[in-house]
Amino acid sequence: MVKKKTEKKSTNQILVELFMTQVGAITNVIDEQGEKIFVTDNLLNTDEIKDYSLEFMELLVNVLHAGEKINRRGMEYKALRRFFTEFSNQIQVRGGTLDEFIRYTQFLQKVFLEGLEHDAKLTFEESRSVLLLVAGIFNDISLDVFNVYLEEKERTIQAQQDELKQTSTPITEIWDGVLTLPIIGTLDSSRTVAVMENLLSRIEQDRARVVVMDITGVVAIDSQVSHHLIQMMRAICLMGARAILTGIRPEIARALTSLNINLGDVVTRSTLSEGLKEAFIYLGVETCTVEEKARQK
Amino acid sequence: MLTGMHLTAIGDNNMLLEPTDALDPSSPDDYVAELMEVLQKEEAQTLMYDLNQVPLIDQVYYNWLIRLNNLCRLANVELVIVNIRTTAAFSLAMSLKTAPPFKCSLDVDSARHGITASLQD
Repeated sequence: MVKKKTEKKSTNQILVELFMTQVGAITNVIDEQGEKIFVTDNLLNTDEIKDYSLEFMELLVNVLHAGEKINRRGMEYKALRRFFTEFSNQIQVRGGTLDEFIRYTQFLQKVFLEGLEHDAKLTFEESRSVLLLVAGIFNDISLDVFNVYLEEKERTIQAQQDELKQTSTPITEIWDGVLTLPIIGTLDSSRTVAVMENLLSRIEQDRARVVVMDITGVVAIDSQVSHHLIQMMRAICLMGARAILTGIRPEIARALTSLNINLGDVVTRSTLSEGLKEAFIYLGVETCTVEEKARQK
Repeated sequence: MLTGMHLTAIGDNNMLLEPTDALDPSSPDDYVAELMEVLQKEEAQTLMYDLNQVPLIDQVYYNWLIRLNNLCRLANVELVIVNIRTTAAFSLAMSLKTAPPFKCSLDVDSARHGITASLQD
């Protein structure tokens, strides 16, 4: 009696066969779902979805053909992951969210698993191994996509923080040789460094003779903030410009006195407008209304 | 001629001091006496110290400036620091514990017109 020799198929082979027999149906379902998720939100057009589906299929087949087992360090697997990274990047650039992309990848996973149900020849063991393989691949993809979103989010937050730093301390030349620096919020070390660098460069560039620092927008002051203020005043003086501190609100004044901080010989004025007047006096500039000028004549 | 610096009378009893690379700020004693002699001879009223070629002012250099300021006070001369670089002003402001005793001016021209700044006014 001759025993029929049956070759045990690898999980990759099972998946490739499943894929080959149902490629048409799988592609159609993926396209359809892709349109539902991405086209309705104008993230991708139909042609792009078809291209992406096709590329995904090719890359997946390459991964499955690369060996009996999936080599997670292999070029084919890396290419598949890179494809999803770039795909998710594009979705994000066009205003898509992580939810949409994860929904899409979960759907892809579901399509493959549903394909298993239609294949009655598969044993429990084979179904289980295919399930594990597919879940493993899509877990990696989900992790990659999540990391891409996280990195992009961090980049956005950093960019916003940088922009906030720039816009929260606008240095403006309001008169020839007079710069104003309204400080809003709080002054920590990193912000002080950034503001001082900008301010000193502007003094040099604009040949400024007076800098009016307005702290009306400073919410609270502690010894560190006041120390930073003094450092800024000194830096301004070292550049040869005169520093005028304005907008010291009663709460700030109380904090400064309770902290026993001596601003030394810093010129202070109550408001920005008073500070500007002081700057004009220092520069020898006299301002008057048209009527006043006419009367003088 | 003084070593380590160029000292030029620029009119109106103003003198301009431009330090060269040969200046050793850690040895102020090498310059003080000779400098005093020149200031008195020229009847200087203001000494403008040009920091344009000095990228960074460390504690040694700052001590030299303080020493020079003390000398100027003895000679009844006003020391005005001019042309300080932004990098030097920044690092010095960050490290100073008290306000500098000398006056500062953006450039020689401003200093000549008496446009100076000081926290000691």
